[in-house]
Amino acid sequence: MTAAAIRQARRGTAIVAVLCAGMTALVAVQYRGLDGALGAESLTALAENPAIRTLFGPPVGLDTAGGFTVWRTGTVLAVLVGIWAALTATRLTRGEEEAGRFDLLLAGRLRLQALVARVLVVVLVAAAVIGVAGALGLVLAGTPVAGAAVFGAGLAGTGMIGAALGVLAGQLFPERRSASGLAVAVLLAGLLARMVSDGVPALEWLAWGTPFGLLGRSAPFAADRALPLLVLGVLVTAVAVLAVASAAGRDVGRGRVAGRDRRARPSRLLTGLSGLAVHRTRRPLAGWAAGAAAYFLLIGLLATSMTEFLRDNPAFADLAAQAGFAQLGSVQGYVAALFTLLAVVLGAFAAARVAATAGDEMAGRLTLLFALPVHRARWAVTEATVVGAATVVLAAAAGAAAWAGAAWVGAGLGLGQALAGALAGLPVGLLCLGAALAALGCAPSAVLAVGVTPAVGGYLLLVLTDTFGWPGVVRWFSPFAHLADVPAEPWNAAGAAGMVAVAVLLAAAGCLRYVRRDLRN
Amino acid sequence: MSATSPSVPALRMEGLSKRFGTTEAVADLSLAVPPGEVFGFLGPNGAGKSTTIRMLLGLLRPNTGTAWIFDVPASDVQRAHRHLAYVPADVALWPSLTGRECLDLLAGVGPGTDPAYRDELLERFALDPDRRARTYSTGNRQKVALVAAFATRAPLLVLDEPTSGLDPLMEREFRACIAEAARRGQTVFLSSHQLAEVEATCSRVGILRSGRLVEVAGLADLRRLHRAEVVVDLAAPATGLQRLADLPGVADLRWSSPVRLELSLTGPPGPVLRALGDADVARLEVREPSLEEIFLDYYGQAPA
Repeated sequence: MTAAAIRQARRGTAIVAVLCAGMTALVAVQYRGLDGALGAESLTALAENPAIRTLFGPPVGLDTAGGFTVWRTGTVLAVLVGIWAALTATRLTRGEEEAGRFDLLLAGRLRLQALVARVLVVVLVAAAVIGVAGALGLVLAGTPVAGAAVFGAGLAGTGMIGAALGVLAGQLFPERRSASGLAVAVLLAGLLARMVSDGVPALEWLAWGTPFGLLGRSAPFAADRALPLLVLGVLVTAVAVLAVASAAGRDVGRGRVAGRDRRARPSRLLTGLSGLAVHRTRRPLAGWAAGAAAYFLLIGLLATSMTEFLRDNPAFADLAAQAGFAQLGSVQGYVAALFTLLAVVLGAFAAARVAATAGDEMAGRLTLLFALPVHRARWAVTEATVVGAATVVLAAAAGAAAWAGAAWVGAGLGLGQALAGALAGLPVGLLCLGAALAALGCAPSAVLAVGVTPAVGGYLLLVLTDTFGWPGVVRWFSPFAHLADVPAEPWNAAGAAGMVAVAVLLAAAGCLRYVRRDLRN
Repeated sequence: MSATSPSVPALRMEGLSKRFGTTEAVADLSLAVPPGEVFGFLGPNGAGKSTTIRMLLGLLRPNTGTAWIFDVPASDVQRAHRHLAYVPADVALWPSLTGRECLDLLAGVGPGTDPAYRDELLERFALDPDRRARTYSTGNRQKVALVAAFATRAPLLVLDEPTSGLDPLMEREFRACIAEAARRGQTVFLSSHQLAEVEATCSRVGILRSGRLVEVAGLADLRRLHRAEVVVDLAAPATGLQRLADLPGVADLRWSSPVRLELSLTGPPGPVLRALGDADVARLEVREPSLEEIFLDYYGQAPA
């Protein structure tokens, strides 16, 4: 049984581990190669900017390769590892249970609680392996072992929290999708709490309750504190014990939080293809929109702390301008920088929705539908249209939330500006939608991975290119290179048109292949 | 439902083949089912029954050959599927939708449903449609698909092992529905393991082995073509009957006692009857083979 779980988790573990090791090693080596050419001033300007602080956490030890790497990649990698662990944990527990494979295993001597505990251990170990890989990347790049170990432990701990949350959510909900949603939502709430703790001095203690805050507090390569890691360990243990405990005394195939099994009034949406597409999109959209709105409400609320910072530090504006970050000096520039992150969210949402279609196909849920007079292209286009519209709604929700937050603190951000900034990232979302549809046609088992590549890969590419001054040709391949900092800058219409054109091409190619290929089951 | 002329087969396949990697799942399959026929599609696990049906529905693309539904190419699903309703072997529904929502969806997207008949079917199959699909057993999920399919009144019903999860009571209801469908002139293409079910409902069967169609025949012809069990009770022992074993079509001659013999007979019974004419026969019993025995003849092993 443990062997089966290991088999199902090892490929993902290897990919994430290699990514973590590669990213940290690459950034550390590049930093060394620059040999201080980045300049202390520009680094300080970058690091002290509130927008950047909100995104990447407070900078410590930026003068060392290790410290710089941790500051630059730590949050991104921790989020990645945490979400991966949570999704893997729900897949191996609730997903397997939903597919009926637990029934067979539990027909033997193994009890449900023991089975859940074993899967949890497998994912915990996987998270540990990834942490070690991240540390190894730093050590191989020549950074001090102690700092690398602290960072690796923090990374592993974040993954372990994700794993334990995933297993816990898998015990609570009877469906894998809702379990995954809950686990990821809690994890991202932790990220939000870290941002609040960094932005609001009175709420600094919040950092001690979230893996991201604890990773920051451990200050790898600067202070190398052990206490935050200890607290992280306690947190992991607590959630893991809770997860295994909640597996006891429930029926296999059911969750602790039982939704209602009956519904007397059928949904009126479910009478046609577009109705079905809307029906299956609206709940995930509500979840994603709530998350994005909470995040951008916070961004809006933090806007004045940044303007105050600018008022108190007139030298900073000059410094930032010299370093090429002139746009960051205003509220508009600040939200524009953070709306860039929204583009990643839009892309992930679009890709996740197409991945849900691919998942339905694998589970055989589309077989009955495609036995009706439904051309596959019609279904793909209907679904893509609804997902595209939902992506617009998601962007608008985030924009409106940022405006509401900024208006609350009187930061001077117009609703039109906020919406324009949020919607500017839409081409990236559509690009991901196109890539996901292409994958649906050509590689249905990799829809999510291929679909998020333009957003996540493009974002990482831009960050790396900008940090190390790679050639412009490389930068050009990142979709983010073609986004303007709306609302600080006017909208880049040509860039948007180009991206939408590529998206349409990808989608068309994917649909053509989708109609011609065999349906998987 | 569009009316179709009797000369157009309800379904037709010509030289249909499908490979999965190096495995040949279906090879050069040609078959036509005239409208109004209830056709049984038999074969053990892995013989290629579901693969054939999935090609028929355009869910899989054949490597060679073509299939037609009432002369519409199977690849033109938008038109071909107006004439058919399908029940898969393994029914998967969206877990959060109720049975009624699934039925509404299938009716709304499908080519047309008789709502009154659907309500009657819900009643007959004793299905509670207000429960969410995640609470349904395999049998209940199958009932949803069956109710949806029968309620369409489509001229062709394609049923892939539709009763594997049903209890005997529901199975009886299913057979009644097939009989009603046949009376209404609907064509039924029934893939099944349950030989008794095929025997009770089908007029013609096709037998698939390792992706090849080894036999297509009416049930009566099939019986005639296959061995009959002959039991002969004699009034007195007759030694001359030993030569029965040498007659054409006779196999497996057994003497359970000096006055009782059993044999398997394939082909016309004339020579055997003539040979028996010389003996003092007290009782003669000729039993036609059951479909299961025919099936075993083809596979030489327990039916799948």
